[in-house]
Amino acid sequence: MSAAPGRPSGDGPRWEVFKQDAAGKPHQAVGSVHAADAEHALLMARSVHARRPAAVSLWVAPADAVLSVTAEQLAAAGDEGAAPAHGDTEGAPQRYLVFRKSSHRRAITFVDHVGEVTAVGPWAALRAAIVAFPEPPALAWWIVPSERVSASPDYEAAAWFEPARAKTYKQQSAYGTTAPTRRRRQG
Amino acid sequence: MADLGAESPERLAAFEARIAAGEKIEPGDWMPEAYRHQLVRMISQHAHSEVVGMLPEGAWIPRAPSLRRKLILLAKVQDEAGHGQYLYHAAETLGVHRDELIAALLEGRAKYSSVFNYPPLTWADVGMIGWLVDGAAIKNQVMLAQCSYGPYSRAMVRICAEETFHHKQGKEMVLTYARGTAHQRAMAQDALDRWWWPSLMMLGPHDSDSPNTPQLVRWGVKTKTNDQVRQEFVDEHAPELLEVGLEVPDPELRFDPADGHWHHGPIDWDEFWAVVRGDGPLNAERLEARRRAFEEGRWVREAIAAHAARREATA
Ligand SMILES: [Fe+2]
Ligand SMILES: [Fe+2]
Repeated sequence: MSAAPGRPSGDGPRWEVFKQDAAGKPHQAVGSVHAADAEHALLMARSVHARRPAAVSLWVAPADAVLSVTAEQLAAAGDEGAAPAHGDTEGAPQRYLVFRKSSHRRAITFVDHVGEVTAVGPWAALRAAIVAFPEPPALAWWIVPSERVSASPDYEAAAWFEPARAKTYKQQSAYGTTAPTRRRRQG
Repeated sequence: MADLGAESPERLAAFEARIAAGEKIEPGDWMPEAYRHQLVRMISQHAHSEVVGMLPEGAWIPRAPSLRRKLILLAKVQDEAGHGQYLYHAAETLGVHRDELIAALLEGRAKYSSVFNYPPLTWADVGMIGWLVDGAAIKNQVMLAQCSYGPYSRAMVRICAEETFHHKQGKEMVLTYARGTAHQRAMAQDALDRWWWPSLMMLGPHDSDSPNTPQLVRWGVKTKTNDQVRQEFVDEHAPELLEVGLEVPDPELRFDPADGHWHHGPIDWDEFWAVVRGDGPLNAERLEARRRAFEEGRWVREAIAAHAARREATA
């Protein structure tokens, strides 16, 4: 677990939350929580983002560890963005998780996890990601150092995610159609 | 990163073209300051409404008439807490901090939905709130799910899926009472008498009194006006309420076969603005409850921070 710097706040810094709906599906950005550390962030993420079924794993990362770049920002940066030193201080190569959004369709989640690259800094990682994951074209990229990402513990998976399945009264489908009778209105 | 620059007519035209093409604006993309400002205003008010909205129903959790109803109401109120969090997150993507927004609420500087300043007096009110208040909220939120700002739109899509449960459980309760004993029917009618007009008002002032609406519509923040959303709400709910034998407390309510819509009588906007200004039945109590919750949670926040600091020091 790593430090979570950020602006001082009664509720701790902001953590981005990634939820996986089922084995074999990508983790997807679903929003953020405020928490004092990664363990706290995972507990908050579970309460806020896994109150319904369709969750088997959560990741959290401090929001300030995320490099977020949209297609519009990339285009505006142009050649400058391609310069090797852009935004990076050269360091030892490390692993970065790559997330991408590629559709304007109405959605419930933002960027999807698409893979991993190794690079000397987040901007170098972004350039590597653009080469490694060219299709479909990205509308937004998130680059996150993998050492800053914390996952919900596997041994807790049943305790964390199974109860939501049993609470069928939270599902609108449990209520069927409660329309009094057919609608009077025509067409 | 190149400076995306100030607001030139070209930049504004490009922004509006993106919206016209159905693109979502994402954090980091260029946006006019007025777009950002309006979104912060709308999203934070919406977040506060979810949070304050826990209070009327939360008070009924200990008095639920069965274990099933208690579980349902607990889950619903928990959902509203979650909705507040999704929305504070969406606001934070625009460069504000949740702490500032919550401070504005606690200090009485922020608005939230006027409907939560009315008291739920009986258990039938809990059902009526689910059916009408959540029903009105869904109409608004389905519209906002089309919003041009990505984070707000996504929060709305998620919230709508959960709100449908709120709406259906409330409707189920009201139908049970409406088909029950004479006493239960009377309770359902009494609840409808008190919640019908606040539900219409919560969808906001008439279009003629909403000066921001045309720009919000052009920028795809809203995709329908207050009056359009209110019409959808009345068209769905008025006939269903009548169908179960309840009387809608509006002598002028009528269906017009010519346009296919249900038309309601005049809304008492003096009452609406009085409640918005702070003179509703429970404005002071609602804020006091939020302040108390914030203070009573202080030791928890401090303990968590101390634990994290010690863990950090010994790591
Ligand atoms: Fe809600
Ligand atoms: Fe709700």
